[in-house]
This record gives sequence, structure tokens and C-alpha cells, in this order.
Amino acid sequence: MSFGISNFLDSLKSAFLYAPVTLKLTFITFVISLILGTIVATVRYYKIPVLSQFFSVFVTVYMGLPTMVALILYNLIFMTFYNDVAKALNINIPITDINPIIIGYFTLILGTTCSISESVRGAFRGISKIQYEAGYSIGLSKVKTLTRIIYPQMVPILLPGLQNSLIGLLKASNLVSAIAVVEIMTGALLPSLLYYSYLEGYVAAALVYWLIGAFIELLAYFAEKNSGKYLKKGTV
Amino acid sequence: MIELVGVKKSFGKQEVLRDVSVKVNNGEVVVILGPSGSGKTTFLRCINFLERADSGILKFDGKEIDLKRARKREILDVRRHTAFVFQNYGLFAHKTALQNVMEGLTQVQKKSKAEATKIAEDALKWVGLIDKKDFYPSQLSGGQQQRVGIARAVALKPEVILFDEPTSALDPELVGETLEVIKNVAKMGITMIVVTHEMSFAEDVADRVIFMDGGVVVEEGKPDEIFYKPKEERTRQFLSRIIPQDSYVI
Repeated sequence: MSFGISNFLDSLKSAFLYAPVTLKLTFITFVISLILGTIVATVRYYKIPVLSQFFSVFVTVYMGLPTMVALILYNLIFMTFYNDVAKALNINIPITDINPIIIGYFTLILGTTCSISESVRGAFRGISKIQYEAGYSIGLSKVKTLTRIIYPQMVPILLPGLQNSLIGLLKASNLVSAIAVVEIMTGALLPSLLYYSYLEGYVAAALVYWLIGAFIELLAYFAEKNSGKYLKKGTV
Repeated sequence: MIELVGVKKSFGKQEVLRDVSVKVNNGEVVVILGPSGSGKTTFLRCINFLERADSGILKFDGKEIDLKRARKREILDVRRHTAFVFQNYGLFAHKTALQNVMEGLTQVQKKSKAEATKIAEDALKWVGLIDKKDFYPSQLSGGQQQRVGIARAVALKPEVILFDEPTSALDPELVGETLEVIKNVAKMGITMIVVTHEMSFAEDVADRVIFMDGGVVVEEGKPDEIFYKPKEERTRQFLSRIIPQDSYVI
């Protein structure tokens, strides 16, 4: 058996065809998780009663759960209870009409929110107290001090961690294939099912993942280069 | 007029302020002196709620505010009528000199961008840093950063400016330029409360000097009264260590 170029190209085409599924899953999850993670970290940093304790326990416990286990678990829970819940809430959509990617989003958002919230918490510690005090002293409210002074200063601190999260998410998005969502890998393997050209299929999938990964790293490189200009020493 | 009555503050078991009362008239420049640990910085920070006092009353702007139980609204109100100059400058690290001065004007006083730019540029001109307006704090020397800090405070047109050891973090040769700017603020007639170790500055500029030690006001009076005719033994001791004696014997 040799490496079939035409089979490989078929797989590559098919992988690219399904790339938008992976890209959507990755970037939408990332944006939502970044917002939620920032909220969770902020609540914990300000020690807002009840919520802060809840998030702290939740994040600690949840970080120990493997993504694959969570994904299958939520999928099983969904399939087991959907009909009863839908009936109780008068929802007339049959379970077969619901795209399983929703479970994928749910799982990935939960996991990524936890990990990003930890990065944001780290970034909070990188901002000195005087930046808050300076904001308060000119009459900014707590919220404005956060949004105008503290969050912007966190960006350069956060970038390496966010890049890490994004690449991790890209790779974790592959797991949703386990609940019958067709994405880059399963897309690349579609032609392989006909011709048994699995090597070609996996190589094609790897190539597409690698391309997207390289693109993300390039993006992160420019983001890092452009943020935190103010940290550089200049003329004195 | 700004008046503080019976301010008390402890950090854990450490009593930092034990019943401090100070009254400052409009346009008056008051310098607070005292050894480190005397509570002078804490007192200053209690005025605009950077530190929450355990008890005490603030009379300001025709209102009486309980320092311990002040509401969000009251705190914001005090902060919007005062400005603070920090020992370590406290400039927003991600904003240029101009943006630092503009921030309060646009975000708090809701001035238009054009108007805020004009005021901020004038303030920077006034401290002699208009050519550095697009520089970030990390690109400025300590003295320049502190002058931007003063410009930021003055541009807000506050009723009172609180200075917390504004020259303590500076290289000796940069102290002069900063003190010069603070002297000019005093000439504008803004009420000022200044915590400092600069004796000659206090003598030149202050209308009144307050000597604090151990969390209480030991003595207060006109600069020459405090410096040359101190009533209290503790003040005398402190001054003898700070003011250079006639000559050194080698």
C-alpha cells in the first residue's frame, strides 16, 4: 500500500469543506469563554459573597474533569432527559432535529471559561494597587476603573495565556466528533471510508489543523507585538 | 473649607490614627510633617476614602459625612471634588501623558473630547511637558511623571488637592522641578494638604504646618512658629534631626 495523492487531495478538500465547523466552534467558544472567564475572575477577585465561593469551588472541581468525559456525559444526560424536559416545557422540537453541536459548545465553553478565568485571575495580580487608586482618586467609579484602567492593562499580560487557550480549544474541538458532529477530522475521513485511505485522511486532517494553528500563532504574534507598547522604555 | 473630626484608624492591632482633627480653610496650604509611621499618609488617604477610617467625620462642601459609613455616592462625590497626587506618581501606565490628564475630564466631568484636549494641553504646558504629551509614563523620568500627575490633578479643577509625599520617590536633582510646580499650584489659590519631608518647601509655601507623631497631632502653627519656636519637646526632637545643624564638626 502506498500513499495515494489523489485520495489525499480528496480528503484535504473534504477537510477544508468542514473547516468552518471547527473554526466556528473554536472562535465562538473562545469569545464567549473570554467574556464569562473575565466575569468569573472578576467576581472572585472582588470576593463577591456567595458567587465568589461558588465559582471558586466550581472551577477547582471542574478543571479536573477531562473534556471527553464531560462531552459524553452531557450528551448522555441530554439524550436521556430531553424528551421529558421538552414535554414539561411544551417544546415541540423532536430530539432528532437538534444539532448535537450544541452539546459541543456547552462542554467547550464550560471548560474554557474555567481555564481562561484562571489566566485572568493571574493577570489581576499583575496590576499594581496604585492603578486602582489613581482611577478612584480622579473620581472614576469601580466599574469604570475596571473597564478603562484595569482590563486594558491586563491585555499584554493575558495574551500568551489566551493564545495557549485558543490553540488548546482548536484541538479540543476535535473531540466533538465523538458525538456525531462532522468537523475537520471526520470530514477528512469521509473519503477514506470509501477507499480505506486512512493514512491520507489523517495526514490531510493534520495539515488543516496545523494550518489553522499556525494562523492563530501568527495572529497572537502580531497582537503581542502591538499591545503593551507602553511597557517599552523609551527616551528619558 | 474641609474639616476632619476625630479620625481613628487601626490596621489590625496597630493603632495608626488616634483621634485626629484638622480644619483647613479655603485656599489654605497645610503641610503635614512627622516621622514615618506617624500616620500622616494614612490620614491623607482617609480624606478621599482610599483608606476607610474606623470612625470620624468629614465636613466638606457643606456636607457632613461619616467616614466609616459613607455611601458609594458620597465617596464618589468627595473624590470628584478632590484630587490626589501620589508618592509613586500613579499615572495610568497604558495611557499617554495627555490621555492621563484627559481621562477624568472626559469620563468623570463628561467634557467633550475637544474641550478636554484643550484643557489637558494647557495643563501640560503649565507644567512644562507639552512636548512630551504623547509619551507613555514608562518613557518619562520620575520628575516628569510627577509633573504629569500634578497636571492631571490640577486640570480637574478640584477644590482640594491632596499631596502624598510627592517628591519622596524622586532623585534629589528632580525634586526641585517638581516642588517648583507645586509652588505654582499653591499660587493658584487651590486648597492643598501636603504630606512632605521637604522642610524648606514647607517654610516657603505653607500657611500652616501640622506636626504629627504616633497617630495624633502634636502641634500646629505657622511655619516659623513650628520650625523656630516649637512648643512641644517631641517636635523639637524631630526637627533637630531633620533640619541641618549650623555646621558639621569633623
